[in-house]
Amino acid sequence: MDERILALREALYALDEATAVGITGELIGGGAAPQEVLQQGLAEAMLEIGRRWNAGDVFLPEVVAAAEIFKKCNEIVEPALIAAGGKTLGHKVVMATVKGDLHDLGKNMVGAMMKTAGFEVHDLGKDVPTERIVEAVRDMEPTIVGLSSLLTTTVPEQRNVIKALEEAGLRRAVKVMVGGAPVTEEWATEIGADGFAPNAPEAVKLALQLAGSERPEA
Amino acid sequence: MSAEGTPRIRPVPLRLRLDPFTEDEIERIHSATLRVLERTGMHIRSPRLVKELERAGAIADHEALRVRLPAEVVEEAIRLAPLTYRLAGRDPDCDIVLDGANSYLTLDGCASDLVDLETGLRRSSTKADLERATRLADAVPEITIIWQPVAAQDQLTAVQPLHEMHAQLTNTSKHIQQMTAIDPHNARGIVEMARIAVGGERALRERPILSAFQCTLSPLTIDGDPLEAALVYAEAGVPCGWVSMPLMTATAPTTPAGTVVITNAELLGAMAVVQLLVPGAPTFYGVCTSTMDLQSGSIANAFGPEEQFFSFACGQLARRYGVPSELGTFGTGAKTQDWQAGAQNMLSGLVSYLAGGDMLCASGTIYAGSVFAFETVILDSELVDIIRFMNEGMSVTDEDLAVDVIEDVGPGGHFLAHPHTLANMRRGWQPRYFDRGTWEEWEAAGRPSPRDRANERARQLVAEHVPLPLDNGVEEQLLEVIETHRKEAEGADHG
Repeated sequence: MDERILALREALYALDEATAVGITGELIGGGAAPQEVLQQGLAEAMLEIGRRWNAGDVFLPEVVAAAEIFKKCNEIVEPALIAAGGKTLGHKVVMATVKGDLHDLGKNMVGAMMKTAGFEVHDLGKDVPTERIVEAVRDMEPTIVGLSSLLTTTVPEQRNVIKALEEAGLRRAVKVMVGGAPVTEEWATEIGADGFAPNAPEAVKLALQLAGSERPEA
Repeated sequence: MSAEGTPRIRPVPLRLRLDPFTEDEIERIHSATLRVLERTGMHIRSPRLVKELERAGAIADHEALRVRLPAEVVEEAIRLAPLTYRLAGRDPDCDIVLDGANSYLTLDGCASDLVDLETGLRRSSTKADLERATRLADAVPEITIIWQPVAAQDQLTAVQPLHEMHAQLTNTSKHIQQMTAIDPHNARGIVEMARIAVGGERALRERPILSAFQCTLSPLTIDGDPLEAALVYAEAGVPCGWVSMPLMTATAPTTPAGTVVITNAELLGAMAVVQLLVPGAPTFYGVCTSTMDLQSGSIANAFGPEEQFFSFACGQLARRYGVPSELGTFGTGAKTQDWQAGAQNMLSGLVSYLAGGDMLCASGTIYAGSVFAFETVILDSELVDIIRFMNEGMSVTDEDLAVDVIEDVGPGGHFLAHPHTLANMRRGWQPRYFDRGTWEEWEAAGRPSPRDRANERARQLVAEHVPLPLDNGVEEQLLEVIETHRKEAEGADHG
């Protein structure tokens, strides 16, 4: 393997954004296979960070920092990948904080942790109208859509999104995960979601289960 | 304990005080805060209010909705906020005055789940649960201010806060502090209902049976609707505080001092903004700052020493600014009333009193504020009672020193039946829920925990306590307000 791929992984472990972005640029600019940079470099580093998190050697803020570097590097890889007609990562996840709610911390944490399990995460942001979520599900065809809300007054929006997915004929094509402080198992069942998780690590376990994948061995 | 002898409310005198931060340290936090407000500023999500704030002296970026507040603008605005004011009860015996002489405990809010009093299982909350929880708090004298402990989630979301107000006005005559109406429409409905209950607009200004607070969004954001709601309250003469609840490491820096700066900046900024728009409006400085679990990213269920720094620092800061404080109290991550809950609640309870909080928030939840439990209100009342007793202090009069009594009994005797003992022993502290029985009694009773006694007591109070009824015809008018607002909300939805 290209030793620069190994150096790219090391840069992610060290949370060294400048080096990671630099190596990615060199690799893509120098004609390296974008699929290999993404899979063997970036995604493999995130999986390893996930293993280290599992072992208690890495804390969540470090996972979030690594995920942000991943995103910057991926912006360089993606155009080349599309041009080469290559596949992106495995399962896609679309995430959003629902309409009326500006609390996106939990969703951001879940997004970062998802990357440590190999998911391709598309974050729609906060205060996201239902129609945009439906549109994203239609266009990106994700395996999972994750809905977050913190307020008891915005939680009902999760139900509205599920209804809208049903009306658009998309509900059966995607698994729906819900989360946020007022969200419970009971609520998830009531609104017909496929699952709920009380925090980011639990959300990853659930997502792997819903996607029918296993967490890579430590 | 005779019912006649029990006061409606039992505040805690503020006699013991600990100011662990030096004046210099407090000034460093203060000037760091002013730098943040002037340099970074706040994101205020209301184009209309950003314009008004610019006219009042703020430096506004209309596109980004960013408001930068020069130090002198902040300091002058905060000076307009009153130091002392009354929070009335529908029952005048429940009136309280925020004047630094006493500390007042609030009921917690606003959980979406509760532990069912009968089954002991966690479930989602309804309006009927809110009625029961409010009635319990009305009966417990240690609770002096009523928040909304659980949400009336079985009601129409658009008017849920109005249903919550209805549930509370019919189940308590203590002061209500409203926290769930976070938009101007519901705030107007709440004000309308309070006016009906107290006898009109002027009556509510003179006897505010209602106060409220809005939350900032950490870091450094105020959403448009809560700010508009705060202005509705301010214009109606309803005291409206601000509560900041950043999470250290996530929505605030990972250092406790940096987290205090975020808290202080949000509160000073939000209070200044309201003072610039409605000068002199009564407000308060509310702190629910907490820490994050590094592994999971959840709010740390291990409430520990750092939360105590926040209480101490913010208590001192609020006094520096001359505004009443409301400090985070009884934060526990426990899932039931166990060792962790007891230790955490006693720690934060004691510290927030020592920090001089005018209001202490809040009693009644477990699992980091997200699950309400009736038993917790009862057990917290025991902890507050210990703190109250400690704050009342040990009396050192001649009668207390008892030199003549000691002479009477002499070496080797006993004090048990001495008239001095019989006359004074009931001044001592008596436990209500701590287990003081023997091992054998405990075994014979099936190894009960304090939680079991609290459950029994809570059931009894919920079943037997009769709150002060509303005057004839008032409830009908309250329901009319809800109905009017419901129709408006539906019209807006279809419009």
